[in-house]
Amino acid sequence: MRQKIAGKLLVLLLGILIFCLFPHKTTAGEPTDQVKETVDSVIKILNNKDLKKPEKRHERSSKIRAAIEKRFDFEEMAKRSLALHWKNRTPREQEEFVSLFSDLLEDTYIKKIERYEDEKVNYTDERTDGSYAVVRTKIITAKEIEIPVDYKIFKKGQKWEIYDIVIEGVSLVNNYRTQFNQIIRSGSYEELIKKLRKKTVK
Amino acid sequence: MKKFDIELAVGFFLLLGILSLAYISINLGKLEIVGRDGYTVYAEFEKAGGIKPKAIVEIAGVEVGTVKSVDITGDYRARVELTIDKDIKLQEDAIASIKTKGLIGEQYVQISPGGSDKFIPNGGKIRETESAIDIEELISKYVFGKI
Repeated sequence: MRQKIAGKLLVLLLGILIFCLFPHKTTAGEPTDQVKETVDSVIKILNNKDLKKPEKRHERSSKIRAAIEKRFDFEEMAKRSLALHWKNRTPREQEEFVSLFSDLLEDTYIKKIERYEDEKVNYTDERTDGSYAVVRTKIITAKEIEIPVDYKIFKKGQKWEIYDIVIEGVSLVNNYRTQFNQIIRSGSYEELIKKLRKKTVK
Repeated sequence: MKKFDIELAVGFFLLLGILSLAYISINLGKLEIVGRDGYTVYAEFEKAGGIKPKAIVEIAGVEVGTVKSVDITGDYRARVELTIDKDIKLQEDAIASIKTKGLIGEQYVQISPGGSDKFIPNGGKIRETESAIDIEELISKYVFGKI
Protein backbone atom coordinates (compact mmCIF):
# COMPACT_ATOMS: atom_id res chain seq x y z
CA MET A 1 0.00 0.00 0.00
CA ARG A 2 2.70 2.38 1.01
CA GLN A 3 4.67 1.50 -2.06
CA LYS A 4 1.67 2.31 -4.23
CA ILE A 5 1.34 5.78 -2.72
CA ALA A 6 5.05 6.35 -3.15
CA GLY A 7 4.70 5.28 -6.78
CA LYS A 8 1.86 7.71 -7.36
CA LEU A 9 3.82 10.47 -5.68
CA LEU A 10 6.75 9.76 -7.97
CA VAL A 11 4.53 10.01 -11.04
CA LEU A 12 3.14 13.30 -9.75
CA LEU A 13 6.61 14.68 -9.10
CA LEU A 14 7.74 13.57 -12.54
CA GLY A 15 4.72 15.30 -14.02
CA ILE A 16 5.55 18.54 -12.25
CA LEU A 17 9.14 18.26 -13.36
CA ILE A 18 8.15 17.80 -17.02
CA PHE A 19 5.68 20.65 -16.67
CA CYS A 20 8.43 22.89 -15.36
CA LEU A 21 10.89 21.82 -18.01
CA PHE A 22 8.56 22.65 -20.88
CA PRO A 23 6.76 25.80 -19.84
CA HIS A 24 6.57 26.98 -23.46
CA LYS A 25 3.71 24.61 -24.17
CA THR A 26 1.50 26.48 -21.74
CA THR A 27 2.59 29.97 -22.73
CA ALA A 28 2.30 29.36 -26.48
CA GLY A 29 0.37 32.20 -28.00
CA GLU A 30 1.68 34.80 -25.59
CA PRO A 31 2.81 37.09 -28.44
CA THR A 32 -0.57 36.77 -30.12
CA ASP A 33 -2.37 37.41 -26.84
CA GLN A 34 -0.45 40.59 -26.22
CA VAL A 35 -0.90 41.94 -29.74
CA LYS A 36 -4.56 41.00 -29.60
CA GLU A 37 -4.95 42.85 -26.33
CA THR A 38 -3.71 46.06 -27.94
CA VAL A 39 -5.69 45.64 -31.15
CA ASP A 40 -8.84 44.90 -29.17
CA SER A 41 -8.37 47.92 -26.94
CA VAL A 42 -7.96 50.16 -30.00
CA ILE A 43 -11.05 48.69 -31.65
CA LYS A 44 -12.97 49.26 -28.43
CA ILE A 45 -12.04 52.94 -28.47
CA LEU A 46 -12.99 53.17 -32.14
CA ASN A 47 -16.37 51.55 -31.52
CA ASN A 48 -17.14 53.77 -28.57
CA LYS A 49 -20.18 55.71 -29.75
CA ASP A 50 -19.70 58.45 -27.23
CA LEU A 51 -16.20 59.19 -28.51
CA LYS A 52 -17.40 59.37 -32.11
CA LYS A 53 -18.99 62.75 -31.52
CA PRO A 54 -17.13 65.55 -33.33
CA GLU A 55 -16.37 67.46 -30.13
CA LYS A 56 -14.64 64.37 -28.69
CA ARG A 57 -12.38 63.91 -31.67
CA HIS A 58 -9.32 65.04 -29.84
CA GLU A 59 -9.99 62.83 -26.86
CA ARG A 60 -10.52 59.86 -29.16
CA SER A 61 -7.22 60.21 -30.99
CA SER A 62 -5.27 60.78 -27.79
CA LYS A 63 -6.82 57.61 -26.35
CA ILE A 64 -5.84 55.63 -29.44
CA ARG A 65 -2.37 57.12 -29.22
CA ALA A 66 -2.00 56.02 -25.61
CA ALA A 67 -3.15 52.47 -26.40
CA ILE A 68 -0.71 52.18 -29.30
CA GLU A 69 2.20 53.66 -27.41
CA LYS A 70 1.93 50.92 -24.84
CA ARG A 71 2.69 48.20 -27.36
CA PHE A 72 4.94 49.89 -29.93
CA ASP A 73 8.62 50.38 -29.33
CA PHE A 74 9.06 53.63 -31.22
CA GLU A 75 12.70 53.90 -30.25
CA GLU A 76 13.53 50.54 -31.77
CA MET A 77 11.51 51.40 -34.88
CA ALA A 78 13.28 54.74 -35.25
CA LYS A 79 16.66 53.10 -34.75
CA ARG A 80 15.98 50.43 -37.32
CA SER A 81 14.63 52.98 -39.80
CA LEU A 82 17.61 55.25 -39.51
CA ALA A 83 19.85 52.15 -39.67
CA LEU A 84 23.44 53.08 -40.54
CA HIS A 85 22.94 56.74 -39.71
CA TRP A 86 21.74 56.06 -36.16
CA LYS A 87 25.24 55.51 -34.82
CA ASN A 88 26.51 58.81 -36.19
CA ARG A 89 24.03 60.80 -34.15
CA THR A 90 24.57 62.21 -30.72
CA PRO A 91 22.28 60.94 -27.92
CA ARG A 92 20.37 64.22 -28.05
CA GLU A 93 19.85 63.97 -31.78
CA GLN A 94 18.71 60.38 -31.36
CA GLU A 95 16.17 61.41 -28.77
CA GLU A 96 14.88 64.18 -31.00
CA PHE A 97 14.66 61.81 -33.93
CA VAL A 98 12.67 59.22 -31.95
CA SER A 99 10.12 61.82 -30.92
CA LEU A 100 9.79 63.18 -34.48
CA PHE A 101 9.53 59.67 -35.88
CA SER A 102 6.81 58.62 -33.46
CA ASP A 103 4.89 61.79 -34.28
CA LEU A 104 5.18 60.95 -37.96
CA LEU A 105 3.91 57.41 -37.44
CA GLU A 106 1.09 58.52 -35.24
CA ASP A 107 0.02 61.26 -37.61
CA THR A 108 0.12 58.98 -40.61
CA TYR A 109 -1.45 55.91 -39.12
CA ILE A 110 -3.91 57.23 -36.57
CA LYS A 111 -5.68 59.11 -39.33
CA LYS A 112 -5.97 55.82 -41.20
CA ILE A 113 -7.09 53.91 -38.15
CA GLU A 114 -9.72 56.53 -37.37
CA ARG A 115 -11.47 55.76 -40.62
CA TYR A 116 -12.09 52.25 -39.36
CA GLU A 117 -15.46 50.83 -40.20
CA ASP A 118 -16.28 47.40 -38.87
CA GLU A 119 -13.16 45.70 -40.11
CA LYS A 120 -12.52 42.30 -38.62
CA VAL A 121 -9.14 41.07 -37.50
CA ASN A 122 -8.25 37.40 -37.84
CA TYR A 123 -5.19 36.00 -36.15
CA THR A 124 -3.84 33.45 -38.58
CA ASP A 125 -0.42 32.40 -37.37
CA GLU A 126 2.33 32.98 -34.87
CA ARG A 127 5.97 32.08 -35.07
CA THR A 128 8.40 32.45 -32.22
CA ASP A 129 12.16 32.37 -32.63
CA GLY A 130 13.88 32.95 -29.31
CA SER A 131 13.02 36.42 -28.10
CA TYR A 132 11.61 37.41 -31.49
CA ALA A 133 8.19 36.56 -32.88
CA VAL A 134 5.85 37.29 -35.75
CA VAL A 135 2.11 37.52 -35.27
CA ARG A 136 0.30 37.21 -38.56
CA THR A 137 -3.13 38.71 -38.94
CA LYS A 138 -5.60 39.44 -41.66
CA ILE A 139 -7.78 42.51 -41.65
CA ILE A 140 -11.05 41.80 -43.40
CA THR A 141 -12.77 44.92 -44.65
CA ALA A 142 -16.49 45.42 -45.08
CA LYS A 143 -15.97 44.69 -48.78
CA GLU A 144 -14.45 41.32 -47.88
CA ILE A 145 -10.97 42.31 -48.98
CA GLU A 146 -8.29 40.60 -46.96
CA ILE A 147 -5.27 42.66 -46.02
CA PRO A 148 -2.43 40.66 -44.47
CA VAL A 149 -0.77 42.53 -41.62
CA ASP A 150 2.17 40.96 -39.78
CA TYR A 151 3.39 42.31 -36.47
CA LYS A 152 7.07 41.77 -35.77
CA ILE A 153 7.63 41.76 -32.07
CA PHE A 154 10.42 41.13 -29.63
CA LYS A 155 10.53 40.41 -25.95
CA LYS A 156 11.51 43.26 -23.71
CA GLY A 157 11.41 42.05 -20.14
CA GLN A 158 8.02 40.48 -19.68
CA LYS A 159 6.43 42.44 -22.46
CA TRP A 160 6.36 41.81 -26.18
CA GLU A 161 6.84 45.01 -28.13
CA ILE A 162 6.25 45.72 -31.78
CA TYR A 163 9.27 46.86 -33.79
CA ASP A 164 7.94 46.51 -37.33
CA ILE A 165 4.67 46.08 -39.20
CA VAL A 166 4.52 44.30 -42.53
CA ILE A 167 1.44 45.21 -44.56
CA GLU A 168 0.83 43.31 -47.79
CA GLY A 169 4.38 42.05 -47.58
CA VAL A 170 5.86 45.54 -47.34
CA SER A 171 7.83 46.33 -44.21
CA LEU A 172 7.24 49.72 -42.63
CA VAL A 173 10.79 49.94 -41.31
CA ASN A 174 12.30 49.05 -44.67
CA ASN A 175 10.12 51.62 -46.41
CA TYR A 176 11.31 54.39 -44.09
CA ARG A 177 14.87 53.06 -44.10
CA THR A 178 15.07 53.46 -47.88
CA GLN A 179 13.52 56.92 -47.82
CA PHE A 180 15.60 58.23 -44.92
CA ASN A 181 18.77 56.86 -46.48
CA GLN A 182 17.99 58.59 -49.76
CA ILE A 183 17.31 61.91 -48.10
CA ILE A 184 20.46 61.75 -45.96
CA ARG A 185 22.70 60.59 -48.81
CA SER A 186 21.47 63.18 -51.29
CA GLY A 187 21.13 65.96 -48.74
CA SER A 188 21.94 65.83 -45.08
CA TYR A 189 20.57 64.65 -41.79
CA GLU A 190 19.43 68.19 -41.05
CA GLU A 191 17.34 68.13 -44.20
CA LEU A 192 15.62 64.94 -43.05
CA ILE A 193 14.82 66.53 -39.69
CA LYS A 194 13.47 69.60 -41.48
CA LYS A 195 11.22 67.42 -43.62
CA LEU A 196 9.99 65.43 -40.65
CA ARG A 197 9.24 68.61 -38.72
CA LYS A 198 7.29 70.02 -41.64
CA LYS A 199 5.22 66.86 -41.88
CA THR A 200 4.42 66.59 -38.23
CA VAL A 201 3.65 70.23 -37.54
CA LYS A 202 -0.04 70.95 -37.70
CA MET B 1 59.60 12.71 -89.54
CA LYS B 2 57.67 15.33 -91.47
CA LYS B 3 54.39 13.45 -91.02
CA PHE B 4 54.88 13.32 -87.29
CA ASP B 5 55.18 17.11 -87.13
CA ILE B 6 51.85 17.63 -88.91
CA GLU B 7 50.09 15.21 -86.59
CA LEU B 8 51.54 17.00 -83.60
CA ALA B 9 50.37 20.36 -84.93
CA VAL B 10 46.85 19.02 -85.59
CA GLY B 11 46.72 17.55 -82.11
CA PHE B 12 47.91 20.80 -80.59
CA PHE B 13 45.30 22.88 -82.38
CA LEU B 14 42.56 20.38 -81.56
CA LEU B 15 43.50 20.58 -77.90
CA LEU B 16 43.52 24.38 -78.12
CA GLY B 17 40.05 24.26 -79.68
CA ILE B 18 38.69 22.02 -76.94
CA LEU B 19 40.17 24.24 -74.25
CA SER B 20 38.69 27.39 -75.78
CA LEU B 21 35.33 25.65 -76.06
CA ALA B 22 35.50 24.70 -72.39
CA TYR B 23 36.46 28.24 -71.45
CA ILE B 24 33.58 29.73 -73.45
CA SER B 25 31.00 27.34 -72.03
CA ILE B 26 32.15 27.98 -68.48
CA ASN B 27 32.08 31.71 -69.05
CA LEU B 28 28.75 31.83 -70.82
CA GLY B 29 27.09 29.39 -68.43
CA LYS B 30 28.50 31.31 -65.49
CA LEU B 31 29.71 28.05 -64.06
CA GLU B 32 31.72 28.39 -60.96
CA ILE B 33 34.52 25.90 -60.70
CA VAL B 34 35.82 27.50 -57.58
CA GLY B 35 33.03 28.55 -55.24
CA ARG B 36 32.52 32.19 -54.39
CA ASP B 37 34.83 33.32 -51.65
CA GLY B 38 32.34 34.23 -48.98
CA TYR B 39 30.25 33.15 -46.06
CA THR B 40 26.79 31.65 -45.87
CA VAL B 41 23.67 33.20 -44.41
CA TYR B 42 20.09 31.98 -44.56
CA ALA B 43 16.89 33.90 -45.07
CA GLU B 44 13.34 32.58 -44.81
CA PHE B 45 10.56 34.02 -46.91
CA GLU B 46 6.81 33.45 -47.07
CA LYS B 47 7.07 33.55 -50.82
CA ALA B 48 10.30 33.27 -52.73
CA GLY B 49 8.69 34.37 -55.97
CA GLY B 50 10.57 31.79 -58.01
CA ILE B 51 14.05 32.96 -57.14
CA LYS B 52 16.69 30.58 -58.44
CA PRO B 53 20.22 29.61 -57.48
CA LYS B 54 22.83 32.02 -58.87
CA ALA B 55 20.44 34.95 -58.55
CA ILE B 56 22.25 38.10 -57.50
CA VAL B 57 22.33 39.55 -53.99
CA GLU B 58 22.59 43.33 -54.01
CA ILE B 59 23.30 46.14 -51.61
CA ALA B 60 22.76 49.61 -53.06
CA GLY B 61 22.63 48.09 -56.53
CA VAL B 62 26.03 46.46 -56.22
CA GLU B 63 26.44 42.70 -56.36
CA VAL B 64 27.69 41.41 -53.01
CA GLY B 65 26.79 37.76 -53.28
CA THR B 66 24.66 35.09 -54.89
CA VAL B 67 21.84 32.72 -54.04
CA LYS B 68 23.35 29.32 -53.45
CA SER B 69 20.26 27.21 -53.01
CA VAL B 70 16.55 27.44 -52.38
CA ASP B 71 14.56 24.85 -50.49
CA ILE B 72 11.41 24.52 -48.44
CA THR B 73 11.17 24.29 -44.65
CA GLY B 74 8.97 22.05 -42.56
CA ASP B 75 6.28 24.72 -42.30
CA TYR B 76 6.24 25.41 -46.04
CA ARG B 77 8.29 28.56 -46.12
CA ALA B 78 11.07 29.20 -48.58
CA ARG B 79 14.58 28.96 -47.20
CA VAL B 80 17.16 30.72 -49.31
CA GLU B 81 20.86 30.11 -48.80
CA LEU B 82 22.98 33.11 -49.69
CA THR B 83 26.70 33.36 -50.21
CA ILE B 84 27.90 36.82 -49.24
CA ASP B 85 31.34 38.20 -50.06
CA LYS B 86 33.49 37.88 -46.99
CA ASP B 87 34.35 41.55 -46.72
CA ILE B 88 30.66 42.52 -46.57
CA LYS B 89 29.27 42.51 -43.06
CA LEU B 90 25.54 42.27 -42.47
CA GLN B 91 24.00 43.76 -39.36
CA GLU B 92 21.51 41.74 -37.38
CA ASP B 93 18.66 44.06 -38.36
CA ALA B 94 19.47 44.03 -42.05
CA ILE B 95 16.40 43.38 -44.20
CA ALA B 96 16.46 40.99 -47.14
CA SER B 97 13.80 41.46 -49.80
CA ILE B 98 13.11 39.62 -53.01
CA LYS B 99 12.68 42.10 -55.79
CA THR B 100 12.06 41.97 -59.50
CA LYS B 101 14.06 43.96 -62.02
CA GLY B 102 11.38 45.95 -63.77
CA LEU B 103 7.92 44.50 -64.15
CA ILE B 104 8.86 41.17 -65.70
CA GLY B 105 12.59 41.08 -65.12
CA GLU B 106 14.66 38.60 -63.20
CA GLN B 107 14.43 38.18 -59.48
CA TYR B 108 17.17 39.23 -57.11
CA VAL B 109 17.71 39.61 -53.38
CA GLN B 110 18.15 43.12 -52.07
CA ILE B 111 19.60 43.70 -48.66
CA SER B 112 19.16 46.98 -46.87
CA PRO B 113 21.84 47.31 -44.18
CA GLY B 114 20.73 47.91 -40.63
CA GLY B 115 22.20 49.88 -37.78
CA SER B 116 22.80 47.19 -35.18
CA ASP B 117 26.20 46.64 -33.58
CA LYS B 118 25.83 42.89 -33.94
CA PHE B 119 26.70 41.21 -37.20
CA ILE B 120 25.30 38.02 -38.68
CA PRO B 121 27.91 35.24 -38.41
CA ASN B 122 28.69 32.55 -40.97
CA GLY B 123 25.72 30.18 -41.07
CA GLY B 124 23.51 32.79 -39.39
CA LYS B 125 20.08 33.94 -40.39
CA ILE B 126 18.69 37.23 -41.67
CA ARG B 127 15.63 37.53 -39.47
CA GLU B 128 13.97 40.42 -41.22
CA THR B 129 12.72 39.52 -44.66
CA GLU B 130 10.23 40.82 -47.16
CA SER B 131 8.68 38.30 -49.52
CA ALA B 132 8.29 38.73 -53.22
CA ILE B 133 5.33 40.95 -53.98
CA ASP B 134 2.95 39.36 -56.38
CA ILE B 135 1.74 42.30 -58.41
CA GLU B 136 -0.88 40.23 -60.19
CA GLU B 137 -2.34 39.10 -56.90
CA LEU B 138 -2.38 42.65 -55.59
CA ILE B 139 -4.09 43.99 -58.68
CA SER B 140 -6.68 41.25 -58.73
CA LYS B 141 -7.39 41.78 -55.07
CA TYR B 142 -8.25 45.40 -55.55
CA VAL B 143 -9.87 44.96 -58.92
CA PHE B 144 -12.12 42.04 -58.08
CA GLY B 145 -12.54 43.03 -54.48
CA LYS B 146 -14.82 45.88 -55.39
CA ILE B 147 -18.15 44.26 -56.08
